[in-house]
Amino acid sequence: MKKLETDVVIVAGGPAGLSAAVTVGEMGLSSILLEKSRTTGGAANMGMGPLGINTSIQKEQFNDISVEHAFDLHMNYTHYNVDADLVQTYFSKSADTIAWLQELGVEFAGAFRYFRESEATWHIVKPENGVIGPRAASGMVKVLTEKAKEYGTEILLETPATSLIVEDGRVVGAKAVDAEGQELEVRGKAVIVATGGFGNNGEMIKQEFGLTLMEDFYPFMIPGVNGDGLKMMWEVGAQKFGANIEAIYQLPDNMNWFVLDAVLRQPNLLVNQRGERFMNEGYMGNTTYVGNALRMQPGNYAYCIADRKIMKQYKKNGPDIMDIVHPADAFHAFDKEAELAREQGYSAYFEAETIEELAEQMGINPETLANTLDDYNAMCDSGVDTQFHKEPRYLHPITGKGNFVAGKFYLGAYGTIGGVRINKRCEVLDKDQKPIPGLYSAGSDANTIYGDSYNFTLPGNTMGFAVNSGRMAGESVMDYISGLEE
Amino acid sequence: MITLTIDGRTVEAREGQSVLHAALDAGIYIPHLCDHPDLEAKGGCRMCSVTIDGAEKPVPSCATEVREGMVVDSHTEAAEAVRRTSMELMLATHPSECTGCPKYGKCEMQSMYQFMGVSAQAWRHHPRSVPTNDSNPLITHLFIRCIRCGRCIRACQDKRGVKVLDYVHDKVGIHAGVPGGKSLAEAGCRFCGACIEVCPTGSIVDVVGRMERYPAYADNVVPCRAECPAHIDIPAYIRAVREGRPGDAVGIIREKVPFPLVLGYICNHLCETGCKRSDINAPMSIRNLKRFAADNDTEQSWKEKYLRTAPPTGKKVAVIGGGPCGLTAAYYLRKKGHDVTVFEKRPELGGPMTSGIPAYRLPLDEVRKEIQLILDTGVKAEVNREITSAAELKKDFDAVLVAVGVSKGRRLPLPGADFQQVYTAMDVLADNRAGKDMGYLGKSVCVIGGGSVGFDVARSLIRHGMTVNLACLEQADKILADAEDQEEGAEEGVNILPGRAFEAIEGTPERVAGLRVHTVLSSTYDKATGKVTEVAEEGSQTVIPCDSVVFATGQYTGLSDYENFGIRLNGRGYPENDGFKTSEEGIFAAGDAITGISFVIKGIAQGRDAASEIDKYLGGDGNIDETLVERTADPYIGEFPGFAALPRVEQEVMSAESRKTNNENVYRTYSCEEASCEAQRCLQCDLRLQFEKIKLWSDFGGVEA
Repeated sequence: MKKLETDVVIVAGGPAGLSAAVTVGEMGLSSILLEKSRTTGGAANMGMGPLGINTSIQKEQFNDISVEHAFDLHMNYTHYNVDADLVQTYFSKSADTIAWLQELGVEFAGAFRYFRESEATWHIVKPENGVIGPRAASGMVKVLTEKAKEYGTEILLETPATSLIVEDGRVVGAKAVDAEGQELEVRGKAVIVATGGFGNNGEMIKQEFGLTLMEDFYPFMIPGVNGDGLKMMWEVGAQKFGANIEAIYQLPDNMNWFVLDAVLRQPNLLVNQRGERFMNEGYMGNTTYVGNALRMQPGNYAYCIADRKIMKQYKKNGPDIMDIVHPADAFHAFDKEAELAREQGYSAYFEAETIEELAEQMGINPETLANTLDDYNAMCDSGVDTQFHKEPRYLHPITGKGNFVAGKFYLGAYGTIGGVRINKRCEVLDKDQKPIPGLYSAGSDANTIYGDSYNFTLPGNTMGFAVNSGRMAGESVMDYISGLEE
Repeated sequence: MITLTIDGRTVEAREGQSVLHAALDAGIYIPHLCDHPDLEAKGGCRMCSVTIDGAEKPVPSCATEVREGMVVDSHTEAAEAVRRTSMELMLATHPSECTGCPKYGKCEMQSMYQFMGVSAQAWRHHPRSVPTNDSNPLITHLFIRCIRCGRCIRACQDKRGVKVLDYVHDKVGIHAGVPGGKSLAEAGCRFCGACIEVCPTGSIVDVVGRMERYPAYADNVVPCRAECPAHIDIPAYIRAVREGRPGDAVGIIREKVPFPLVLGYICNHLCETGCKRSDINAPMSIRNLKRFAADNDTEQSWKEKYLRTAPPTGKKVAVIGGGPCGLTAAYYLRKKGHDVTVFEKRPELGGPMTSGIPAYRLPLDEVRKEIQLILDTGVKAEVNREITSAAELKKDFDAVLVAVGVSKGRRLPLPGADFQQVYTAMDVLADNRAGKDMGYLGKSVCVIGGGSVGFDVARSLIRHGMTVNLACLEQADKILADAEDQEEGAEEGVNILPGRAFEAIEGTPERVAGLRVHTVLSSTYDKATGKVTEVAEEGSQTVIPCDSVVFATGQYTGLSDYENFGIRLNGRGYPENDGFKTSEEGIFAAGDAITGISFVIKGIAQGRDAASEIDKYLGGDGNIDETLVERTADPYIGEFPGFAALPRVEQEVMSAESRKTNNENVYRTYSCEEASCEAQRCLQCDLRLQFEKIKLWSDFGGVEA
């Protein structure tokens, strides 16, 4: 077995692990980073940027939000069911972290809201071509990776860690296996685990949440994100704590049907399999709320019904709800993708001349659906949603002109968060809430600050927590190692 | 050598080399996508654009040869502009999200936009939905992600000559695919996987789950080799058989195991469970090809190297037990230059190969030849030498290996189990193999136990003209022996009685009258407590009349029968062990003696690994790898219409009537024609590993972006 020695062993090279690597490197510690994939960055490669609160970018845009305000907002949102000390440490650090990233060479396009009701905390990384969109944060990954290397972090790609090494009650390293199948042992003075949850592990998802992948749950599934880190931390006595999904909603196989996913999620008529409305569709921009609401419906899905006339209006005037991930451009491509979907028999897209025909396609009682539509249209005509109080400007009568169209949206998730309990020093706690010496965790494995639901009103939160907790863990490790040497 | 300047650095390059590869070899990263070191450069993607000698117009560096004194700049505004536009064009039709992509984290394209910082794109003009095609075995097509680099097409057309993939122009535009909407099988695909290997995006991938079975990439690509406990280079020896070189095939097998012939006859072929062709129609008949090679190896071209040993180390090793594990370990330790002596308690070396497995499964003369080759290396053997203390023996040796196997038969604690005409399978099989008169068993025998040992006993006794009942606790569909054994045994006349619980052996100590059993409808075995809970059928109690009873109900090491064997044993009589190390310094244990009863190939694999450990203990490097046959593998496999449908060739089996009357092998070795027919079914998964692994930007050291 190959044996390696370093100061700090970092398990996984997503935004948390990379931030930790740069942080310990800045302080003169050596580190070895064990990454399962061929590239670094993990989930950050699909993301756009981290949260920042009270940053100079926000101030320049007159969009500043104080830490106090964000903290109150978050703690009220979570009903103090989360570690306030951890939240406040993270929030207070976030502005400095944005400045730190800028110093490293990361450029930001600005601070953004995800949807209208959210705060402008999302610091989106500026792509080379200037167009903000998915994957923007991969530029940040590059900077962090290069910096980590510059500080001497040895990044071992395609080398997943398999277990932690404990000696005399202290975590002193990790075992791993490389692409040739060779086992290796990496020893250090402390270990930071940041493997990003278990969003790709169907078995764990079933066990922890009772959800079945590709049946009643269509999350983002990032290959490799299988809960490796959580399992190895639980194995050495970490408390199992606070695992949850980061709920959203989407069409099944939405990458192939991205346009349909983007255009059909407008606040029209949302009904469950019983043909009944169940929420104010005006909230459809808040993808967490909708995900939660879908989870209350049979099968964890609902149909969002509109018609082609409304689609045409969106194409011309822009959609009701704007968000950055689903740009308005999509409406221009709707006709073509809808045609393809019908041709190929895509199971989550529906189009019909009459509401009864549409109901039949969906397997809903036609009479119920027709009644729901009549009631809905009557409310649209009167301009008052007497049922769920949707804003009048979203009340477009659905007449079926040019055909009814509908998408079947399922409960989804970005991934999972939480699983172990950390304190504000990112020390991993055991069942008695005592730190396990030498073991630190950061990023989504340790993100338990949302309580039952992702706080979409402070966008960039998950990547923000990853980068900030990665730095926090790195700093704590420095203290720990200094303590060992004294 | 040609000297040129790339991005301000002086670089040496080979004549005829492309600028791109000169840069990459020198550790200078230039983005590139359509180029692949193993495929002809096309210069289509323009990602690798550079400016040469200050010229205005950038050129693709992959399609530009190096020239003496050339000055190359990959960072000029013009080159970067071409690259950016090219990337945007590719991303224009590529899905805008990486989520859900099986290539996430291993994708060249993803790494490239990470490097370049390119993000969103003008996809409003180019929606393309190519449905995912997962209807083919082994290979999944997700051409929505195709960026038309043409690597897969070049690999399939030029490198392999299979000519299945091509550009397809359909409603949504151009992408790689199978023309005419055919399935891969219909199109003549040989499922070599070259297309998967070279695809820079997630457009052509292994079916879900295929690449996550083993930690090592190569194992996932070549699962037959990974499944084989000794990791024999299976694709290579199948290739040798196909090319009419059975001797080379045997040499390749002998690199990992000293018993090719034995394994060719009786291996439980775990390799075949790994064979990817199972997903197409049926696995390769790997074992039978091995037998063909061993039976037809007349030249023994590997022999000289095979018998060569390292200079003497002066270290002495004792191996207790001359079965597959002990002999294998002895052979490899001898090869490393150690002085090795094997101690065997029976009159002949070979363990179950010579004293257990019946002749109709394994011809004795052939086994002896394989054992002789081991002795030819200078391994010493003392037969009829039972060692009762490993610790005592250790005094005269530097290291001792306990490889005693599980040679003692176990009896169930039934009333009458100690009667005179009650035997264990071990003893009966040994007598049978030694050619003794089996008359002492009488005319009618009950065999208890439905594993392969039970069937060995039953089928052997049938050949002695006896009436044989074989009873076991397992229900018919759960019988432990493999399906062939059950089927052929039944054909030969073994009366199989599944789902029986045993009450007692009837008769007197001097004379067995029968076996009392009742029928069980179901039974469960609790692994933790070892307890069996059964549901009995009421009124099913009956006595099977017989003259003798043979227990084939498990075996044990017998080490606890010795007064003091000198190493710590666990509660079940197995040596306590950490890896192969026992409680005592310098004494090792391996094979069935530590794993419990297993198959010959497992014993051999254990013998290899133990030999390596012991060599290290004795100061060696532990490396027992050896190349006996140089490999050549032509990557151009060519067209083969109907390849997918080629049926598995089975060995001819003798009729039940004729085989009942003699001890000849039940199967006939493949003819040359049958062997080459079977061998040509191989997908040659190993060819995929010939492709050079593409380096991503992050694999380069100090990258200057």
